[in-house]
Amino acid sequence: MDVPTTRAAAQARKVRGSNKLRFRVLPIVEVVTFLLLLAAPFILAERTALVTLMTNIVILSVFAISFDLCWGFSGIMSFGQALFFGAAGYVVALVGRDLDFSQLLGTLPLALLVGGLLSAALAAFLLLGRKTPTSIFLAFGTLTGAYAAERLVSGWQYVGAGNGLSSIKLMAFGSFEFVEGPAFYFVALAALVVVYAGSRVLVRSQFGLVLAGMRQNEERLAFFGYRVQMFKAVMFILAGMIAGLSGALYSYHQGFTGPGNLGPGLSTTAVIYCLFGGSGTLIGPVLGTGAIELLSYVLADTDAIRQFWPVILGLVLLVVVMFQPTGLLGLIVSARERIGSFGLRRQAR
Amino acid sequence: MSETDRTRGISRRHFLNGAGALTAAGWIAGFTGGWVLRPRWAHAAGPIKMGIATDITGAIAPSGNANWQVAQFAVEQINTAGGILGQPIELHLEDTASDPKIAVGNVRKLIQERKVDVVLGGITSAMRQAIKDPIVNRGRTLYIYPQLYEGQECTKFLFNTGPSPAQQCDRLIPYIMKTLGKKRFAMPSANYVWPQLLNKYARKVIEANGGEVVFEEYYPLDQAEYSATISKIKDGKVDCVFNTVIPPGLQPFVKQLYESGFQKNGGVLSCVYYDENLLNYHPAAEMEGLISCLDYFQAVDDPFSKTLQQGYAKKFPDTKYLFTAGSASTGMYRGVKFYEEAVKATGGKLGREEVAAALDHAVLKEGPGGGAAMVPGHYHAKMNMYIAVCKSEGGKTRYDVIDKADMVDPREC
Repeated sequence: MDVPTTRAAAQARKVRGSNKLRFRVLPIVEVVTFLLLLAAPFILAERTALVTLMTNIVILSVFAISFDLCWGFSGIMSFGQALFFGAAGYVVALVGRDLDFSQLLGTLPLALLVGGLLSAALAAFLLLGRKTPTSIFLAFGTLTGAYAAERLVSGWQYVGAGNGLSSIKLMAFGSFEFVEGPAFYFVALAALVVVYAGSRVLVRSQFGLVLAGMRQNEERLAFFGYRVQMFKAVMFILAGMIAGLSGALYSYHQGFTGPGNLGPGLSTTAVIYCLFGGSGTLIGPVLGTGAIELLSYVLADTDAIRQFWPVILGLVLLVVVMFQPTGLLGLIVSARERIGSFGLRRQAR
Repeated sequence: MSETDRTRGISRRHFLNGAGALTAAGWIAGFTGGWVLRPRWAHAAGPIKMGIATDITGAIAPSGNANWQVAQFAVEQINTAGGILGQPIELHLEDTASDPKIAVGNVRKLIQERKVDVVLGGITSAMRQAIKDPIVNRGRTLYIYPQLYEGQECTKFLFNTGPSPAQQCDRLIPYIMKTLGKKRFAMPSANYVWPQLLNKYARKVIEANGGEVVFEEYYPLDQAEYSATISKIKDGKVDCVFNTVIPPGLQPFVKQLYESGFQKNGGVLSCVYYDENLLNYHPAAEMEGLISCLDYFQAVDDPFSKTLQQGYAKKFPDTKYLFTAGSASTGMYRGVKFYEEAVKATGGKLGREEVAAALDHAVLKEGPGGGAAMVPGHYHAKMNMYIAVCKSEGGKTRYDVIDKADMVDPREC
């Protein structure tokens, strides 16, 4: 039996153990996080560099959510999220360079499309084949995709090869151009809120109930007549679109994109954000991204630490996986609440 | 600060501490983020904030550290002499880590957090292309790029203080062809933008002088096996190798070329980024006869350059990061001094437009290898160019300067 199923089963046992309806923590965490994010640019008004940092955190949070949709909700260990992130980033950069176009109303949907198409292609290959894929197969499949993309791009002169693409045309709305700062921040925050709310509705819907059932026992759902792999594919494509959106915003914001943005390195970073914050919660990845990015911002200027920063991150991940598999959020939110309740059953209560 | 305390220059002790640590450990970071060197005395208008963005860590750290040391050296000279119209310069360093992805974020710190008036730095062309946008367009700040490079950088508010392909090739290649009588060239190169554009220019000069390029090939930067290249050089009867392979592929290539007996049989190895730092990458014997063309060599017989070297040696005794031309150090020195001249001309105004307008026709009477002058409207500088040949004697290498051209035009933009 593969890992997500046994893990979900253990969680379900825990849920059954605590039958009392408890005080709900999750909505409070969500509201507090949202209010903090909303207030951030006003608090940091004068410190442009910190607004820039916060914008990065918000954009990367969207990216982390895309991984959570794969792993936390559909049991796909995707080591290839950066492929969609980076590809969309390259596409908007190229559209800016070659077509001189960067209207966000055009390019952001384009980024969704790019992420969606690529993930659909990968899903068709990895998920919808004749044989039901194992989670190891999926992990390696996605990892290979990201690695291949990184190597391909770093040798391709048209997209800047190893140098990457710089001086990316500024994202625009009408004649207004977004440089780093509060305006850009709010665009990113709007993207986060839309993605978050959409994902939240989806995973608590009847569709989400099927996903929860799949996590419990995939074979049983299949016997009920659900096309399990199709559900996974839909989630994978959605996640790809979201990764694409964040990748486009990231490119615009940094003004630079390179092969590193496509590869396994960044893909793994998304895994760390998500597991550190708490997977399968949506808000966990946001908190994880914030915590890790803030820490690395503070520590990056200390030479003694910078050298070991990747090692420290690795150790943190190890500790989380071994001792706190539910992540930061697991410390304050019960298992029952993390998994949530669905539709009619809750109303009947 | 009392009047008697107004020692001109950066606090001696503060500075020696910094310098001591720098020579001991290469570089240490301040715990407040980045590295700042503050002048000792204050000025009503505050200090002029100069940002240095260079590769302190990563693959080309040796050049980056030399750049940073030269920047400190030049700024200390200015501050010791009373600053620019009485205003001292405060130096801010951010590490670009030989990685454009990291650099973009760090350079933004210089602009947004430290709010510097000018940024100098970047060594590779990939780095310049990555950081010029956050500096010039988004950051609305002046940018000075100090390294020799492939040319064609004509961005407004971006000034180049290193030599262009025209400055490096126009005299060197005719010299190789006419004086040394070499006609058949090979161009083994690393696969990135600088070799590609430089070769394009060099090929034009070679063909205009009646020579022939036998082959022009690009290799991955970390290639270690060149036997195919070497046999092509032999079979094609190449008599001059115009090399743009860079480390780490460089050492195996030069070794294999030497062992094939190319130089012994009268072949000439030419490499236009070769300075004193780079000779140490190889055994001395392999370097015998190498020809380079740069804006400065330590062997140049110029009293001002000699004083500069002495001052630098005094400030950074036993440093392994030399004040040379190939690692953007001379360009860095010129950049700092050009900026000083420009601010003097604006009467202390630091606005980007005003300084850029003054910088456009700034002139340096003296510098490493002689003076330099910006060519108005062209964002590049005229400077003296030298051709030098490497000699090895008893396991030691040195350059002998064999030709000098005065105030060569960059012919860019």
